[in-house]
Amino acid sequence: MSLLTFAQWVQSLAIPTTVREAWLPYPIILSLHMCGIALFGGMIAVTNLRLLGLVMRKRPIADVIEGLRVPKRFGFLLIVTCGLLLASSKAEEYYYNPFFWAKMSLLTLVGIHGLIFRGSVYNHPAALDSAPRVPGRAKLAACLSLVLWTAIACCGRGIGYVEPPLDKLHAVLIGITLGGR
Amino acid sequence: MFLQYVNYDPSTNPLNNNEWAFPFLECIHIAGFTLSIGTIALVDLCMLGLAFRKQASAVLARQMAPWTLVGLVVMLITGPLIFSSDPNMYLGNISFRFKMGALLLALLYHYTLHRWAVYREPAPAVGKVVAVVSLGLWISVVAGGLFIAFF
Repeated sequence: MSLLTFAQWVQSLAIPTTVREAWLPYPIILSLHMCGIALFGGMIAVTNLRLLGLVMRKRPIADVIEGLRVPKRFGFLLIVTCGLLLASSKAEEYYYNPFFWAKMSLLTLVGIHGLIFRGSVYNHPAALDSAPRVPGRAKLAACLSLVLWTAIACCGRGIGYVEPPLDKLHAVLIGITLGGR
Repeated sequence: MFLQYVNYDPSTNPLNNNEWAFPFLECIHIAGFTLSIGTIALVDLCMLGLAFRKQASAVLARQMAPWTLVGLVVMLITGPLIFSSDPNMYLGNISFRFKMGALLLALLYHYTLHRWAVYREPAPAVGKVVAVVSLGLWISVVAGGLFIAFF
């Protein structure tokens, strides 16, 4: 099965079809996705700005990271659930969308960022507090995370600006895509 | 179709003559509300006992306030610029009107009632209600903004 046929299959499932064709679900899910961005993005920003020493300096890094762990997971869950619903509802269209591919690639990079820095930075905040200065790798992790997530949000916005190649599309989504910018 | 609210020709606006200007502004706008609403939501979650449980919300709010303000300023600069790309469309758009109403309420609320509840010692009994209302108002602002593109 090629990726394109996979995208067409995903899109033809019941829930993605409803999200695409019904009147309200799409904008509502997109709004929740946006609220997730505010919540999750805000927490990512606070965590990383703390590592860079720009917010809450008097508070230990461990406090900030541990205090945010649970709501951050909740925010991540919200944003990913909405994202999956949105992406699956227009999977075939997004197959042709360069911003979508860029966003997915950046998300992969965020995953790699996690693999590299979770163990050495985010999972051991107490070690960062006991060090005389915040180590360079923690600041690097913070900068990379901020840049990656900003780029992901921007690419996400970019997705809406690419005109769908109507001649190539298999499913009936003309009425939705024209209004859905 | 739309009523003419202001006599202004948006085709001369540089925003409409540069392919990247509008999306770029939107990205900055999103970054702005992430910072402002994200930090406000953190304080609300703290008041609700869902984040920074050991922390007094007043201390957290004091530390977040400058970043909230930076985010608000970014939003209030990029927002009107985005608006200027097609004022008559926005003024006639029901979601936009809703958003402006919600934004006005949210801002007023944030710097009056919300501020009072956050900084008051000891924390008032209505703190959790105040936090939920704050979250609801800001969610309305975000959702209203998004719905502009649909309704």
